[in-house]
Amino acid sequence: MTTLTRRNLLSVAAGAAAATTLPFDHPVRAATPPAGKQANGWYRYKVGSIEVTVATDGIARFKMAEDHVTNIKRDVVNAALAEVFMEKDMMTTPYNPICVNTGAKLCVIDTGTGEANYKKSNGVGGQFVTNLAAAGIDRGAIDTVIISHYHGDHINGLLMADNSLTYPNAEILVPAPEHKYWMDDGEMSRASKGRIETNFKNVRRVFNADVLKRVKTYDWGKDVVAGITAQGTPGHTLGHVSFVIASGSDTVFVQSDVTHVPFLFVRHPDWHAFYDQDANMAEATRRKVYDMLVADKMRVQGFHYPFPSLAHVEKYGTGYREIPVAWNPII
Amino acid sequence: MMQLNRRNLFAGAAAAGAATALTPLMGRNANAGVAPAGKQVPGVYRQKLGSFELTQITDGAARRPVSNGYVVNISKEQAIAETEAAHYQKDQVIIPFNPLVINTGSKLVLIDTGVGPALYEKSKGAVGQLHTNMAAAGIDRNAIDIVILSHFHGDHINGLRMADGGLSFPNAEIKVPGVEWDFWMNDANAGKVSGYNKGAWGVPRGIFKGLENKVTKYEAGKEVAPGITSIATPGHTPGHTSFAIASGSAHALVQSDVTNIPQFFLRHPDWHVEYDIDPSTAAQTRHKFYDMASAEKTLVIGFHFSFPSAGYVEKDGTGYRLVPIVWNPSI
Repeated sequence: MTTLTRRNLLSVAAGAAAATTLPFDHPVRAATPPAGKQANGWYRYKVGSIEVTVATDGIARFKMAEDHVTNIKRDVVNAALAEVFMEKDMMTTPYNPICVNTGAKLCVIDTGTGEANYKKSNGVGGQFVTNLAAAGIDRGAIDTVIISHYHGDHINGLLMADNSLTYPNAEILVPAPEHKYWMDDGEMSRASKGRIETNFKNVRRVFNADVLKRVKTYDWGKDVVAGITAQGTPGHTLGHVSFVIASGSDTVFVQSDVTHVPFLFVRHPDWHAFYDQDANMAEATRRKVYDMLVADKMRVQGFHYPFPSLAHVEKYGTGYREIPVAWNPII
Repeated sequence: MMQLNRRNLFAGAAAAGAATALTPLMGRNANAGVAPAGKQVPGVYRQKLGSFELTQITDGAARRPVSNGYVVNISKEQAIAETEAAHYQKDQVIIPFNPLVINTGSKLVLIDTGVGPALYEKSKGAVGQLHTNMAAAGIDRNAIDIVILSHFHGDHINGLRMADGGLSFPNAEIKVPGVEWDFWMNDANAGKVSGYNKGAWGVPRGIFKGLENKVTKYEAGKEVAPGITSIATPGHTPGHTSFAIASGSAHALVQSDVTNIPQFFLRHPDWHVEYDIDPSTAAQTRHKFYDMASAEKTLVIGFHFSFPSAGYVEKDGTGYRLVPIVWNPSI
């Protein structure tokens, strides 16, 4: 009997080239071509009587800028990536908006990077509406779009590539402080050059006249629609919002961008992603939210968590750790 | 600023009745509602390994209590405590079944077959999903060239047969571990098993009836299909087999049942699941296998891992921990 050793495990790799010479005795049939296509990225679960459908918008994979984590040296970041078996210097960012059927309203929370990005990225990003359609949800049937904050990966999907409305029959509910800040000409004139200024311009591009006609603001701490409550979680942006979906005794916390990717920023809540507008406020919010999630054993749905982006949270070292909810093959 | 605390978190749920105060802008009449979809995505996930295309396909999942002897060498209380530590419902675990399809370029190979379509109706679709999910993945069961079986428990072999007893993969060569065949097909061994395995004794006989001359026995340490090499990992059953898959410089391990659910038995490799025929040997195999997988940082695919059932193994205290792969929405 062959025993289990490193040597024979690795010899397999070396021997692979020889494999095709082995006499496989099956009658010769044409080989099946590879599918070459990922399965549809959607996943469904219940929160009480509410049905949540996670539909991935895809990912972005890029070489990290030197200041991607602004307060941590690159070799420390790379060590953290190695701990989760990820390639050094590279950032993989998943985008996972959700669709919530409360029974009364069919809602989308955040919209992904948009159809224009689907084309630009050759389908790697901008998948949200196609995955939603694969899940049997027609974008024309969406009643309410709820926006957590005004970064492009959350709002750009409001528009199709031709700038028409992605959700033509939906009202668009936006956080009042977020809307006020990004639409304020004074704030824009005082904005620092670079990322913040670019974001001001993008917000004004997306919130065109058609979109603005449908916009209604909501306040922190209020029900946005029945069953979905807004929680102010500022720092990432100044008006940034998370949501609690509640039905009966069941709840899930939709964190939006309280953390960016969990494998860096849940493990290390004191690390500052360069996306955070007020990094210290974002860190304080992060700790508050995660302490609460741990204490209440509440599940978290994270926009930048790996699909299907639903997890439990534990304390771990000086930070926390996300434990993906076991995939349920039925609902 | 709204303070984030439990009270205002849950206030949202209580106040839900007030939410309709928001005036709907347009679209359907208020509260017309959209029926919940009530249906889970077919569990399919693809990844490349060198030039091979791997498709993990879920067969579903079963739920069971742990207080009735799931782990034979710990107390009932300890087992129940672990369900909660692992974020399951108290005294419940979910055991998923995840067969694997490998397109090597020349052969379409299926490793293990799930519990079989006969149980699909009976379980209300919870298990026995392989055949329908395979179709959803665009894989014709008639196109499978080789079925490789890891061992002879029902959740691995029963899917060889359709509900009517016909062959699920009529054009496939069926490859079985020789040691496993000789053990289960010889009634002189019936007295060597107890508990679960006693109840399961007749299962292989039933499944392989009439196929005695069709199956091909394979040995450990041999290439069973192009790039797929068998590794003896005994204990769970006498002929239990894992596989090394290699394509170019890429390789992965298909562990089969070196552990049942990793939430229990990776964390506690010395715990004995009631399905192990020789639990001490199984525990030794487990240590050896994961010491190797963690040292080599090899991708491990696990039949009973949560879908998509692939991850990396890290050492953690006296046990190990699974770091699930990050779902890639494109391939």
